[in-house]
Amino acid sequence: MTDNVCIEVREVYKRYKSAQEDSLSDVSLDVVQSDVFGLLGPNGAGKTTLISILCGIIPVSSGNVRFFGNGTPYSDYERKSRVGFVPQEYAFYQELTPRQNLDYFGAMYNLSKTRLEERREHLLEVLGLEKAGDKKVGTFSGGMKRRVNLAIGIIHEPDILFLDEPTVGVDVQSRNAIIRYLQQLNEGGTTIIYTSHHMSEAEEFCKNIALIDHGKVIAAGDLQALKTAHGVDNLQTLFINLTGEEYRD
Amino acid sequence: MFKLYSSLRKELLLLLNDKVGLTLMFLMPLLLVFIITIIQDSAYKMVNENQIPLLVVNQDEGKEGVKLVDLLKKSGLFKIDSQDGIPQESLKSELLARGKMIALYIPATFSAGLESNAEDVSSILMDDLGLEHDTTAREKVSMPRLAFYNDPVLQENYSYSVMSVIQSYMSVIENSLMIDRMYANMDIAERSAKLKDKMISNRVGIDQIVARNNNSTAIPNSTQHNVPAWTIFAMFFMVVSLGSNIVKERVNGSFLRLKTMPTTFMVVMFSKMAVYVVVAALQVALTFSMGIWILPKLGLPKLSVPDNVVATIAVIFISSMAAVSYALMIGAFAKTEQQANGFGAISIIIFGAIGGILVPTFVMPGFMQFFSNFSPLHWCLEGFYVLFLKGGSWQDLRAVFAFLGIFIVFCQLGTYFKLRLERII
Repeated sequence: MTDNVCIEVREVYKRYKSAQEDSLSDVSLDVVQSDVFGLLGPNGAGKTTLISILCGIIPVSSGNVRFFGNGTPYSDYERKSRVGFVPQEYAFYQELTPRQNLDYFGAMYNLSKTRLEERREHLLEVLGLEKAGDKKVGTFSGGMKRRVNLAIGIIHEPDILFLDEPTVGVDVQSRNAIIRYLQQLNEGGTTIIYTSHHMSEAEEFCKNIALIDHGKVIAAGDLQALKTAHGVDNLQTLFINLTGEEYRD
Repeated sequence: MFKLYSSLRKELLLLLNDKVGLTLMFLMPLLLVFIITIIQDSAYKMVNENQIPLLVVNQDEGKEGVKLVDLLKKSGLFKIDSQDGIPQESLKSELLARGKMIALYIPATFSAGLESNAEDVSSILMDDLGLEHDTTAREKVSMPRLAFYNDPVLQENYSYSVMSVIQSYMSVIENSLMIDRMYANMDIAERSAKLKDKMISNRVGIDQIVARNNNSTAIPNSTQHNVPAWTIFAMFFMVVSLGSNIVKERVNGSFLRLKTMPTTFMVVMFSKMAVYVVVAALQVALTFSMGIWILPKLGLPKLSVPDNVVATIAVIFISSMAAVSYALMIGAFAKTEQQANGFGAISIIIFGAIGGILVPTFVMPGFMQFFSNFSPLHWCLEGFYVLFLKGGSWQDLRAVFAFLGIFIVFCQLGTYFKLRLERII
């Protein structure tokens, strides 16, 4: 593992119990520090499975995942403190306010009371939630909920941030706000691993990508280099050329 | 500690935001205790203090029918509405039309039948004693039958109680007639009064003694029975709030998100249990307070708290833990909130029914009494009854602690393995 590689995935296989096929098969890839890395693929390709493995939610069937270049096991306490996760679902408490949600999840990330208050108010401000900070999240629009979901994942200022479809189902304004803030985080040194079905958004946002289909990495590397190598001028065409046009379940 | 504090705070906030759950947990036990205690108390008073409305149709051509009606009147148990003109065929419809619950029909041959039977008994006795008596052939009249009508909505045991009372007055009349007939046959009819008085008035009395293990002054009454019983029932209804709360966290990914955080899931589970055990203790405090201070103001019996306060606290704690553990398990196994709420609520009603909350277990058939041992509510109720009604000691509570302990471990392990299967812990 080179010094600036912060996630190294080697020959990872994953087969769920009672499944006939592997959800991931021989997946190997490197994510370098401060990268915005896109994990792209059609529905059921294995993106969420890979993110779940990287976040320590599910174990690999075989293979290795190493973080920060020091061989630390992925379930390690320190890794969890330095990694953030923003799931596709609204994984928070709709009955609570954004402040109450951030207080709870921030404490679970071991933030001190003072630091937690600072981070909470900062995030509410930069994500445009300051005025709604004391209203129940259940009354929010989809875009506002997405921003709360994001705020929880980054309250502890992670070094690596995993985002599973962070802009699905939101309006253009919220999407722009989210992407803009993620770019700021990345400029500050946060490594971002991101999945999305919005090819134009991914093209604008990602430096490197891995295209996954049927559980395998079918293309990986610098986005510009991949487009040039396949003779296409945009990510969507590259995606269609490599994954085909048939429907996916 | 900050983590634990935040987790406890989150649980408390979720609970305070769950208006339906809070209503079920705090208003329901108060209403249940209040309503059931009043109803049972009035039923007790109706049988013991109030007069039972009784429609009587006396078509007896002799004087024994009148005697029976007089005895029923003198007993003070019945409010008699005599309607001798109603034919038996229309008595059913008259009963329903007049809004009466019970009616007694005395047939025309009532006196003749009783007298004929008394004559037969007397003759047998005279013959056996070898005494001379009047052997003139008399017309034989068969033993009469009274007809007892009751509204179909009237509970069976209530009807049986009334019939028992009528039966006991019939014994008085029959015995009196037999003595009269025997004395008459012996030509000493004027002396029968003394024997009748001796036989009828000097009967064996029954002293009711409540079997208790100490000198507790608690008197079994509707309050002593209902306050603990319905408090336990309501305590287990936290399954609706806590169970659906867990389903939500499982389904919306909050639990999985916690798995990506540097924290132990034990903090989450401990916080849930701690908050809901406190809720259960508050439920107990609330309903017991009502039993002590409010029910007496409404003319209902006061709740007497057991002398063994430490044992009472221990029973409240283990009952709360049983309720919380069951709710956790339902929350872990249910796939949706609807499942948790529906199955949770119905299972508590079933546990309550087989556990003796709705009707006492001793009136159940043998196999149901066996099944009641599998209801946690039965053991919680047993624990409270040992303390509240029997004045029991720690020794008497051993089975309660053993069963509830096993139940708690079973539920906790079930929850642990299910969440582990889902890779949440």
